[in-house]
Amino acid sequence: MKKLIIIPAYNESESIERTVRDIQEHAKDFDYIVINDCSTDRTLEICREQGIPVISLPINMGIGGAVQTGYLYAYRNGYDMAVQVDGDGQHDPAFLTQMADYLEKHQLDMVIGSRFIEKEGFQSSVIRRVGIRYFSGLIRILTGQTITDPTSGLRMVGRDVIKLFSERYPNDYPEPESVTAILRRGKRVEEIPVVMRERSGGISSISMQKSVYYMVKVSLAILIERIRSE
Amino acid sequence: MNIRIQIIVVAIVVAALVGLINLIRRNKLQLKYALLWFGLGIGICVFACFPGLTSYLAGVMGIYTPINMLFFAGFCFSLAIIFSLSVAISRLSERVKKLSQEIALLKGTGGDEEENTLTEGE
Repeated sequence: MKKLIIIPAYNESESIERTVRDIQEHAKDFDYIVINDCSTDRTLEICREQGIPVISLPINMGIGGAVQTGYLYAYRNGYDMAVQVDGDGQHDPAFLTQMADYLEKHQLDMVIGSRFIEKEGFQSSVIRRVGIRYFSGLIRILTGQTITDPTSGLRMVGRDVIKLFSERYPNDYPEPESVTAILRRGKRVEEIPVVMRERSGGISSISMQKSVYYMVKVSLAILIERIRSE
Repeated sequence: MNIRIQIIVVAIVVAALVGLINLIRRNKLQLKYALLWFGLGIGICVFACFPGLTSYLAGVMGIYTPINMLFFAGFCFSLAIIFSLSVAISRLSERVKKLSQEIALLKGTGGDEEENTLTEGE
């Protein structure tokens, strides 16, 4: 099983090295690739200095475009599984082997690492949790499936979904919309409990003002996704 | 504002919104760029359905008939949308320029396959 870890990184020079070392230690049977989203700090230089495999995007595309590049890379290089691990250190690579085993054993298309099943570790801010519960409910109404952590970036997918995502992936706030998209196609998605850490350096990319746009845009996107044709 | 124009306006807006959603559904229009048009459509519907509000605003602005207020508001908002498109195009132009430059540099100086003086890594 060829497995790839996609590490999107925008201005993560403080945490990228530690994130990669963590991966090297806990996920030895995974390949990994950093997708440098046109960082303006030393993220790219650090990767090159440390010999970390990196794809350097010529323009900044945001999390959606960057991660989709990773899926495209995974598809073209024949990977059977791909998992997203953020460059800021929030995701713990210790769970990756568990996720891969779970995906294989239950013949799933996607395994999501959810913070909210066991409710351990970093639980995000109250406001974010309200938003997450809202999206959880919306997805349940539209697809019948309960996803407790629809905004989790820690997601592992199989070959079918790698191809789907490499062809079409939302540009911003991609997680809830993309989950709805594959659920609509009848893909098998399950979650396992994980523990996430607070981001170790840098700043989060979602500010207060953007939150309103986020809620409206993603809600509409999920609704339209539900009635989407090919 | 009489009931006839109200019905016509709402019918047109609803038809337009359905068309919008259909285009998004078929991946011919990005939701991001459609949001402002949604706002315009909903705004027009609100003004058409609440003539009291429209009359009040018309009075405040010195416009004689409420329906003119509706057209004026729709026109101003449309201008704002067009302007936002100008901004979006400017941004896209810049990105296309950067991409073109990167591709040109990747292709190297051409002719001589060995000579590629500006390689940017693997």
